[in-house]
Amino acid sequence: MPGDWRNNCGRRTWDGCVLGVSCAVLFLSACAGGAAVVTPGAAPGPLVSTRVAARTLASATACADGFVEHTLPFSTGVRSRQLRTYLSNGAGAAANDLDGDADIDLVFASVDNKAKILWNEGALNFVDVEIDDLNTRAASIVDFDGDGKLDIVFTHRTSGVTFWRNLGGRRFEKQAPLQPDVFAYTLGWADLNGDGALDLVTGSYLAELEREGFTPAEMRGKTGVYVFERDGAGYKSRRLSGDAQALAIGLLDLDADGKTDIWVGNDFDLQDQIWSNLNGEWRQIEPFATTAHSTMSIDWGDVGNRGDVTLFSTDMNPYDTSTRTLARWLPMMAVTEQKRVRNDPQLSANVMQARSSTTGAWRNEAARRGIDATGWSWAGRFGDLDNDGLLDLYVVNGMIADDLFGHLEQQELVERNRAFRGGADGGFDLAEQWGLDADESGRGMLMADMDGDGDLDIVVNNLRASARLFENRVCGGRGVLVDLRSPGSPNAFAIGAWIELHTSAGVLRRDVRAMSGYLGGDPAQAHFGVPAGATIDHMVVIWPDGARARIDNIQAGTRVSVIRE
Amino acid sequence: MTTIPMKLTAAQEGGLRRGLMHGFSALWAVLHPRQYARPVLGALIAGVLAAALGVRMGWFPLWAGTLLVLAGLLPVGVVKWRDDARRFGPVAMLLGALIAVQGLHSIEHVIQWVQYHVLFWTMRQSSGLISPANAEVVHFVWNWSVFITVAVLVRKGVRNPLAWLLLAVTALHAVEHSYTFVRHLQVLAELRELGVTRVTAQGLPGILGRDGWLARSELTQGTFLCSLPVLTTAIRLDIHFYWNTLEVMLLVPAAVLFLGRKR
Repeated sequence: MPGDWRNNCGRRTWDGCVLGVSCAVLFLSACAGGAAVVTPGAAPGPLVSTRVAARTLASATACADGFVEHTLPFSTGVRSRQLRTYLSNGAGAAANDLDGDADIDLVFASVDNKAKILWNEGALNFVDVEIDDLNTRAASIVDFDGDGKLDIVFTHRTSGVTFWRNLGGRRFEKQAPLQPDVFAYTLGWADLNGDGALDLVTGSYLAELEREGFTPAEMRGKTGVYVFERDGAGYKSRRLSGDAQALAIGLLDLDADGKTDIWVGNDFDLQDQIWSNLNGEWRQIEPFATTAHSTMSIDWGDVGNRGDVTLFSTDMNPYDTSTRTLARWLPMMAVTEQKRVRNDPQLSANVMQARSSTTGAWRNEAARRGIDATGWSWAGRFGDLDNDGLLDLYVVNGMIADDLFGHLEQQELVERNRAFRGGADGGFDLAEQWGLDADESGRGMLMADMDGDGDLDIVVNNLRASARLFENRVCGGRGVLVDLRSPGSPNAFAIGAWIELHTSAGVLRRDVRAMSGYLGGDPAQAHFGVPAGATIDHMVVIWPDGARARIDNIQAGTRVSVIRE
Repeated sequence: MTTIPMKLTAAQEGGLRRGLMHGFSALWAVLHPRQYARPVLGALIAGVLAAALGVRMGWFPLWAGTLLVLAGLLPVGVVKWRDDARRFGPVAMLLGALIAVQGLHSIEHVIQWVQYHVLFWTMRQSSGLISPANAEVVHFVWNWSVFITVAVLVRKGVRNPLAWLLLAVTALHAVEHSYTFVRHLQVLAELRELGVTRVTAQGLPGILGRDGWLARSELTQGTFLCSLPVLTTAIRLDIHFYWNTLEVMLLVPAAVLFLGRKR
């Protein structure tokens, strides 16, 4: 039947179900009243009591089946006369409610100027305030000191990590630097050792340090991948590797042992590095048969509501193979050929890892699902953009570098961002109708409900252009926003928790995380899209320590605060 | 209505076997160097020694050494093929010559395959022994020449199912190279417009293979065509290795069948 083969190269619903009988069994087990619900990484834990507060979300502006673009008062890379590699890698952004007014604020990192906070005053009005921190790369907003207030953390182009402690009243105080003061391009946060506090993982980017003239002596003992485990008021450090070309870090359970693993996505020929926690020791593993060659972004989510995480990493691969496009890429490709080694798992394309339902092994399904080529891709993120209960995908792209694209006008490879609508079969269709195909050179990107109407808006930190906010006006279902709080816990915002929303349209799963994509800090808020006509039965929260809570009487179109007692 | 017999009779089987045996021996006779064995061997040894010395001493690159060897063999080959034409007729001579040159061409593809998959050289380095010949214009001319030669052979009587299949395969292979050649010229024009002159546009994806037309065209999106294994996933080097291997695998038995019937 042609429909069974339909794909976006492609949406083959038969794949993974070799026999009709097994397909039927899998389908029935997946749909049988939540009986087959398995939330990724969660070991069954005790039931805990919670207090729940819910309030109705602001009514959405009349839907227009698309996004409306707004220019934000921030830009990075515009002060530089020349944009060479690796200034060209741009900077990230983070989102969270920094002042506790229930609106999500923004923090932008800048590669050539001071970072900025954009205070959200509601109705998409922002007040921008500089932070006295120069040449920042990644931004994240977490409660690093466990005082219940969200703080700001930056990495830098050619130095380490800076901490800005939230004093309340929109005031921040710079803290003493991390010790040892290692080079950090990107970072990730998770409770890695199960002690309830957030630990930090950093990765350096050797190529930039060498380009900027750092000598081996200056870099000795300060490059690579470091784990900083929270230890009282400070951190206990451990160096996992001296080598790193880290552009992205993903902290999640990759080997299904119930513990958080460390995935460092590396640029160039250096393969991605993955460590598994084995009784407190970090052991390097190779769970993937295929990885992106230059892993620029790492994201994950329950694509197609299968009950398991699917991983997505971006790379450079032209989204069209027209002669015009190829001519723009070829001069760069002529000077950057890759080294080849035996059994190299790296592929110069986006990679989507999905676990085989039979063997449990990860396998790359990006080409089959139509998302292997999205241009010179930086941040790539999942989010339910049309509130239909299924994760969609947005990838920002483009490159500006006079040493690679000197043959192009303004030394810029102009590409259009790619938005994909996710289907129930886990495939993706290009969603040009959403109007997200902006051609600014996007780098960091995040999704958050910026106007409190229950749908995900998109914020992009562009290079050499103003940052953009894409206001979501896509017609669809209604949203549910969930804020988890664990007062008194050093991980008060429950980073690492999973939430299941049991609906008549299936079980939707989202996690609470601090950092993902490319240099991007996520809000500590889970978003669910509930398709029109679907009803919600209940919600299950799996706290980072495995404890569970069941919450009934959840309505679509509400923002729910769950406070652990 | 004609009835197709399910089994060959013993006489038919014997005739077929004798025909094949005769075909093999006739093909061997055509391909054998005969009295030219010593000149062929001499030219080969002299060429290889000269090439090895030149490459070793850095007087010229490997591809020039390879051309030197082939240039040394060419005069002997021409003399032998003239002799073949006199002895076996022009069609058999043409078949023999095509097998020889297409065989050498396929060896070049095998070497590329080994360079890439066994020695793990980069795609750019994996250009075989005559790297300057790994150019779109050479591929284009070569494959149309092969197709035309096969078409002439069919016209001159080399007609059996394998020969017809070979004609179709060489035609499709030539179409594939026409596509890549046209795109090559278009990319060069685009590069010129961008002011880029020192970048080649070799090795572009064709109709088949990873990033080829079948895999990436808007016309095939949403159908099973864009995700066919090998045809949309193999790299270009592999795709052309398969094309040439397939052609040799059809050419040799087609020649055997033809020469076997010719007795």
